Amino acid sequence: MPRGSEKYSVIGKRQPKLDAVHKATGRSQFTDDVVLPNMLYGKIVRSTIPRGKILSIDTSRAERVPGVKAVITHKDTGGLMVGPDQQLLCEDMVYYFGDEVAAVAAVDEETAIEAAGLIKVEYEPLQPLFSIEEATAEGAPVLHQYFEDNYADEVTMNFGDAEKAFAESDHIRVDEFIVNAGHNTFAEHHVVIADFTLPNKLSVWTPIQSALLIQKSMAQDFGLPESNVRILSLNTGGAFSGKPSARPHHSIAALLSRKSGRPVKIRITADEEFIVCRSGSRGKFTLKTGVKKDGTLKAVEADILHDCGAYIEIQFIMLRFFGLSLQLLYKLDAERYRGRLVYTNNPPYFFPHGGGLVGLRFAFDSQFDLIARDLGLDPVEMRLKNAVDKGYTTLSKTHYASCGLKECIRKTAKTSGWKKKYGKLPPFRGIGIGCGVINSGGKGLYDHDTSAAFLKIGEDGRVSLFTGLPDMGQGSHTTMAMIAAETLGIVPEDITVISGDTDIAPMDIGAFSQRGTFTTGNAVKVAALDARKQLEKTASKKFGTRPSALVFRDKKVYPKGTPEKAVSFEDVVSDTLHSQEGRYVMGRGFYNPPTERTDPVTYEGNATLAFSFGAQIAEVEVDPETGIVKLLNMTVAHDVGRAINPLAVEGQLDGQVFSGMAQTLFEECIMENGMVLNSSPVEYKLPRPFEIPEIAHIIVETNDPYGPYGAKEVGEGPIMCTAQAIANAVSNAIGYPVKELPITPERVLQALRQKGKNHAPKK
Amino acid sequence: MKKILSLTVNGDTYEVAVSPWKTLLDVLRDNLGLMGTKRGCSIGTCGVCTVIIDGKAILSCLTLALECEGKAITTIEGISSEGSLHPVQKSFIENGAIQCGYCSPGIIMTAKALLDENPHPSDDEIKEALAGTFCRCTGHVKIMEAIKKVSQPAGEGASHAPGK
Repeated sequence: MPRGSEKYSVIGKRQPKLDAVHKATGRSQFTDDVVLPNMLYGKIVRSTIPRGKILSIDTSRAERVPGVKAVITHKDTGGLMVGPDQQLLCEDMVYYFGDEVAAVAAVDEETAIEAAGLIKVEYEPLQPLFSIEEATAEGAPVLHQYFEDNYADEVTMNFGDAEKAFAESDHIRVDEFIVNAGHNTFAEHHVVIADFTLPNKLSVWTPIQSALLIQKSMAQDFGLPESNVRILSLNTGGAFSGKPSARPHHSIAALLSRKSGRPVKIRITADEEFIVCRSGSRGKFTLKTGVKKDGTLKAVEADILHDCGAYIEIQFIMLRFFGLSLQLLYKLDAERYRGRLVYTNNPPYFFPHGGGLVGLRFAFDSQFDLIARDLGLDPVEMRLKNAVDKGYTTLSKTHYASCGLKECIRKTAKTSGWKKKYGKLPPFRGIGIGCGVINSGGKGLYDHDTSAAFLKIGEDGRVSLFTGLPDMGQGSHTTMAMIAAETLGIVPEDITVISGDTDIAPMDIGAFSQRGTFTTGNAVKVAALDARKQLEKTASKKFGTRPSALVFRDKKVYPKGTPEKAVSFEDVVSDTLHSQEGRYVMGRGFYNPPTERTDPVTYEGNATLAFSFGAQIAEVEVDPETGIVKLLNMTVAHDVGRAINPLAVEGQLDGQVFSGMAQTLFEECIMENGMVLNSSPVEYKLPRPFEIPEIAHIIVETNDPYGPYGAKEVGEGPIMCTAQAIANAVSNAIGYPVKELPITPERVLQALRQKGKNHAPKK
Repeated sequence: MKKILSLTVNGDTYEVAVSPWKTLLDVLRDNLGLMGTKRGCSIGTCGVCTVIIDGKAILSCLTLALECEGKAITTIEGISSEGSLHPVQKSFIENGAIQCGYCSPGIIMTAKALLDENPHPSDDEIKEALAGTFCRCTGHVKIMEAIKKVSQPAGEGASHAPGK
C-alpha cells in the first residue's frame, strides 16, 4: 500500500487507462486510419548509394504514369534545409543509403511506388566512410563542406579539480565500452498526412512526441505563422524517443500536397523505418575513474565518441546529456569530459530508447563493478557509499530536493536476496546491480519549460481537460485526469481529456525529457485549483465557512469534519452558474519550473527541479555452449516521488525492463556498406514473450516537494538501470567483463574464449 | 483486372471488387472501412494486423483477400458489441495490458483465438501463441497477466470463460 494513499481519493489508485476501451476495441484513431477526401499517396525516392554526386535526375517517365499528380525534386523545395547540414531533397550530393532525392504523389500507393521506381538518378559514387575509426583516420575525406574534419560537434566539460582528485586516488582504472546501433521499433511506423491545399493553412496528421517542435519547424520551413500550422497527433503508437520532432517526410508530404492541391499521405515501410527513425548509433565510451581504497569515488574522466551518421539532427543534445549525467548518480570530487559526434555515411542517427543515456549508464556502472572487484568490495555496499542523497548538490550545481537512491539500492538488495546470492551462485549463474538517475523535464531546449492546461466544467459536473501533452502509451492523459480529479474532488471517469490538436490544445513542449507527469502535471493542478477556487466561492457562501475549510472529495463538497452536510459537486457547479454572477467555471494554468538554464560555457546550473532514481538487480543464466544469456529475474526499484497511478507505474517498469533487456541482449542493426541488413522486426531479433523475465516491482515514494502530489517522472528513468544490471550479472556469471552491447551469444563466447586465454596455465 | 469477391466479415457479407494482389488487410481497411485492424510492418513480422479466419489467428497482411472467399473472418470490431466487451478485452483494460494500443487489437485477437481453442492454456502455450507479436510498451508482462486472469479464473468459474 503506497504511503499516504488514504489521504487521497484518486492519487495512488490503480486506475485503468481512460482510453483503454477505445484501444481494446480498435476504435482509437491513429494517423493511418485517417482518410481524407481526394487524398493522394506519396512515395520517397531514396539514394541507392551511401555517398556520391548526383549527376542527373530524370523524372519524365514518372510524370507520364497515369494517376501521378505531383513529382518533386530539390528544385521544388526552395532550398529547404533540415537542420544545418541536410537538404530536404538532395541537390547534388547524397550522404547515405536512403537519402531523400525525390518524391511522387499519386492516386494510390501502387501507382506512387511504380512512378517512384521510374525516376532515374545518375550518381558518381564517392568513397564512403562507415565507422568512427574510418571517419577520424588521418587523410579521411571530409564528408560535409564547411567543416574541416568529420567531427560534427564537440563538447568539453570540467567540474572540480580533476588533477588533484586523480592524484588523491589510490586506484585508477581505464576501460573502453562500446554500444552498437539499434532501433526503437514501435508498433506504429512513421506516417504523415499533410493538407496544404490552402496557401495559408497547413494541417499535418502524424504520430509525435511533441506537437510544438514539429509545428515550429514546419512553420519555419514554409514561412507560415506558427498558429497556421495545425498538428493533429491523435494517438501515437509508441515512440521510445523515436518520434520527438519533424523528419524529412513531414515536409515532403507538405510540398507534394501544395504542388498537387490535394492532401497527401506518406506511409513509411518496414525497410524505410530503420533509416527514417534515425535511432541509436554506435558509440565508444572511454572512462578513467579514480577511487580511494575504501571505494570512495574521486574523479571520472570520460572521452565519448558517437557516430552521428550522415547528418547531425539534434544529436548535439545527447553530447551535453552525457557530460552532465556522469556526475548525477554518485558523489564525485571532479569530472573531466569530452564528447564528440562523428559524421559517417551511415543513416543519420537520433535517440534510441533512453535518449542515448542507456549506453553511458552501462559504461559507467559496469566500470563501477570492475573497480569494486579490483578493491574486493561488495558492489551494493560500494554503491551505497557513493550514492547521492536528498539535499546534495552535484558538481554542476544540480540540487536534489528529493532522492530515494539509497532506499532503492537497499530494497532491491533485500528483495533479490543479494547477500545470499552474490558470489555464491552456481557456475554460469550471475547476479548484478545497476543504478540510474534521470531528470523530470527541465530547461534546455528553450528558456522556458512551460506546459499549459485548461479545463471547463459542464453543468452536469463533468470536466473537459485540454492538454497539449501527447500520450504515446505511457498513460499521461489518465495521469493528468487523475491529478485534476484529485484536485477537484471528483473521479477520473468524469473527465474527458482533449488533446492531439494544436488548434484546440494549449501549448506543451511535449512528451520527452520525462517532463509529462512533473511539468504538465503541475500545470493541470494549477488549472484545476483555479477552477476549484471559483467553486469554493459558491460553497463557502452556502456553508458559511472559509474556503480553506472546505473539502472536495468523492464528488462531494463539505466543510471539514462534517461530511454529513455534503452537497454534490454537480450542485456546486450548477449553483455557480445559476447565481447572480452566472459564472461558467473554467480553470486555467501553466507551469514553468523556477530553474535556470544550464550555462553554455561552464555547464553549471540547476536546470531541473526534480530527479528520479532507481536500482535494479538482475539474475542471469549463461549457456557456456551457445553463449545465450537468459535474464531470469529482475528486481526493480524506482523513486517516482509519488505513484499517481501504480498500475501505470508498473507498466512503465515492465516495459522499460523489457526494452532495456532488448538493448542489452538482443538489439543491433547489422550494418554493411551503410545499409541496415536486418531491417525487419524478425531479422532484427527482438525479444518476444518467451524472454519475459520475472519482475519484482518496488515503488519508492519520496514525495518530491515540487512535484504534483509529490510525483516525479517514470518515463525513462527505469531503463537507465537495466543494461548495467544485466551486463554486471553476465560478467558475474562468466567471471569475465563484458564491455560491448548488445551482449549477443557471439560476444559471450568471445569473452569466454578471452577468459580462457588469460587464464591458460603458463608453460 | 479486379475480381468481384464475396467476403464474410463479423457475420456480414460484403461484395467488393479487388485487385488480385490486395491483401485482406488492405480490403478490411480500405474497402470495408474496418480500421480496428491496424497496419503494422505489413510483412508479417509484428502481429499487429492479426484477425481470426475460421477460428485461427491469421496475419491479414500476408493473406490475399482472394483466398478468403467463403471463410468466416472475425476482426476486432466483431468480438464485442456496445456495452459488452469480450472477456479478453475487459481483462486487458482492467489489468493495464494496453499502453499505446497500436498492437492491442492484434494481440487481443491472437489471445481470443488461443482461448477459443484452448480455454486453459499453460504459460508456455500463451507465450507460444503470442510469439509472433511484439509490444515494447508493456514488455508483454501485463498482457500475460491479463490473458491468465481470463483463462485461469480464480473461483469465479464459468462467468469468466471466454465467449464467442
